Amino acid sequence: MSTERPKVQRSGPRPAEARLRRLLVMLPWLMERAEVPVAEVAERFALTEAEVVKDLELASMCGLPPFVDELIDVYIDEGVIYIGVPRLFVRPLRLNAVEAFELLAAGRAAMQLPGADADGPLGRGLLKLARVLGEDDTGVLRVDLARPGYTDAVAEAVESGSEVRIEYWSASRDETTTRVIIPRQLFSDHGEWYVRADDDRSGELRTFRVDRIESMEPTNRIVPPSDVPLPPPGEWFADGSIRRVTIRLAPAARWVAERYPMDEVSVPDEQGFVTVRLAVASERWLERTLLRLGRDAEVLDAPELAAAVGAYATRVLARYR
Amino acid sequence: MADRVERLTNLLALLLETIEPLSLVAVAGRLHGQYPDGQTAMRAAFERDKAALREIGVPIEQTIVSGGAEAGQTRYWIDRERYELTDLELDPDEMRALQVAMAATRPGSASGQEAMWKIGAGLLEHGAAIAAIIPDDPWLPTLRESVANRVQVRFGYRGVDRLVDPWGLLLRTGFWYLIGFDHEREERRTYRIDRIEGAVEQVVGSTFERPEGFDASTAFPDDPKLIGADPNVPDARVLIDAHRAGAAIRELGANRVATTNPDGSVEVLVPYANMQAFRSWLLGYGEWAEVLEPASARKAVMSWLERVAAQ
Repeated sequence: MSTERPKVQRSGPRPAEARLRRLLVMLPWLMERAEVPVAEVAERFALTEAEVVKDLELASMCGLPPFVDELIDVYIDEGVIYIGVPRLFVRPLRLNAVEAFELLAAGRAAMQLPGADADGPLGRGLLKLARVLGEDDTGVLRVDLARPGYTDAVAEAVESGSEVRIEYWSASRDETTTRVIIPRQLFSDHGEWYVRADDDRSGELRTFRVDRIESMEPTNRIVPPSDVPLPPPGEWFADGSIRRVTIRLAPAARWVAERYPMDEVSVPDEQGFVTVRLAVASERWLERTLLRLGRDAEVLDAPELAAAVGAYATRVLARYR
Repeated sequence: MADRVERLTNLLALLLETIEPLSLVAVAGRLHGQYPDGQTAMRAAFERDKAALREIGVPIEQTIVSGGAEAGQTRYWIDRERYELTDLELDPDEMRALQVAMAATRPGSASGQEAMWKIGAGLLEHGAAIAAIIPDDPWLPTLRESVANRVQVRFGYRGVDRLVDPWGLLLRTGFWYLIGFDHEREERRTYRIDRIEGAVEQVVGSTFERPEGFDASTAFPDDPKLIGADPNVPDARVLIDAHRAGAAIRELGANRVATTNPDGSVEVLVPYANMQAFRSWLLGYGEWAEVLEPASARKAVMSWLERVAAQ
């Protein structure tokens, strides 16, 4: 697993608001510790050491008459910060609406991940948080990440580094294959669960949909975590080499733009139609989706695709005759 | 003139410490030499600072003097109770768990990082091995606050202005939903939050009662095919070829299987009160599925296919 941290990178001077905001979370933390190396503060609060020193020196100069210079008792010597008697800014600023939402939504979502324990530390922490944030019970903000059958087994394989043999139905080729994979990352996105795994067939890191795994069994081989950093979940349709098509969607078909990754989605016109551009990751998938949409979708720049959908409809129709 | 951060910090300290509300002139007097002398420039600088503090989330209270020589003058202060984060009394393992939760579901969120710092946790890590992507919407924080504080909201939806008692929020099938009581329609309604038109406004001073035992997760059906489901409409019977039978059983559950045929194909029972959702689901199985009955569903699917074929 990668534990890559965000780099401190910025251009130009930091705005006063950002500096003050950071100072107001830094001071209460420092006051609890009394003595901390500058480097540790910089690391924790994503600042450079020079920025930490600059802002703390500035804070030490703040003060109100008649107590000028005594508002914040801070002293830096040989790379160590010493905090004297705590006065003001002992407690952090309250959480704003956005931060409150972020915390609760993240916590509730994580409770839906495989292996979460309602009586564990996350469940207990969330309960304390919800009370402070005005939620009298937990039923008013819910996250539901319905897990298909093999999700928990995949999660166990990810955590233990177990190689597994799966039968997998590929929507793009409409066939079931047996492959040996080492699950590396499991994530939920747009209501579906995916597993990123080292795939023996292609020799690459591939993404599979968990609900399309038809069977799974361990090979009893344990493979230590690889050093290759995992891409952030969600960035998996970015391949620029894949062919793109442009489709105009009627209001009834707009769910497609919300459900699948799109390169571009236009602003709706007066009738509520949108024009989208998307990667053709799989022609089979696209034909099937266009069949579902029927006349609510119009392919603008690939006449052969429109013809293929018509032929597909004729093929399905043959079943009914 | 002082560094702006210094002036902002001093202003914040002054408004927190003051025993009585302070006018602009009193503030400038106490922070001697930090604000410009001219009235207009002083007012402009102070307004900018006040906006900056509010932007950070500092609740600045204000009152207007009602009588005497200074009637009409605005005075400011900060209520420490409202300013400070209530002590959450989080144990270290609970803080750590919340941090892991944030890293797994909101990696890269600047507000999430701010929240972590405020509760005393550290820098978020990236690249959790077990993760979920939670969709964003600019109105979610306002809606959550309204749900928690029981404040009514107004917003546009499907071209109609709504007044809603927001009962709860639910993330399901990748979308956020608001469930509440719609005063225009006078009934309980569910709204897709990303389809809200324009802004969500809180109705100042309003309140409402949530039904006892309300739970957002049981408030509307799981399955889109069930939305608008009518107990009087019987299920459709659908034949799924052996090739996709396993997937259909996993999707629908074994209790939806009516018949298993010798060739491995199955006949499943699927609600079809919502014809559009049913057809879309069925065609997702492509040439591997066929609706057998009722005849009306069969006919509707055939005519849809004929239209697409002739397109």
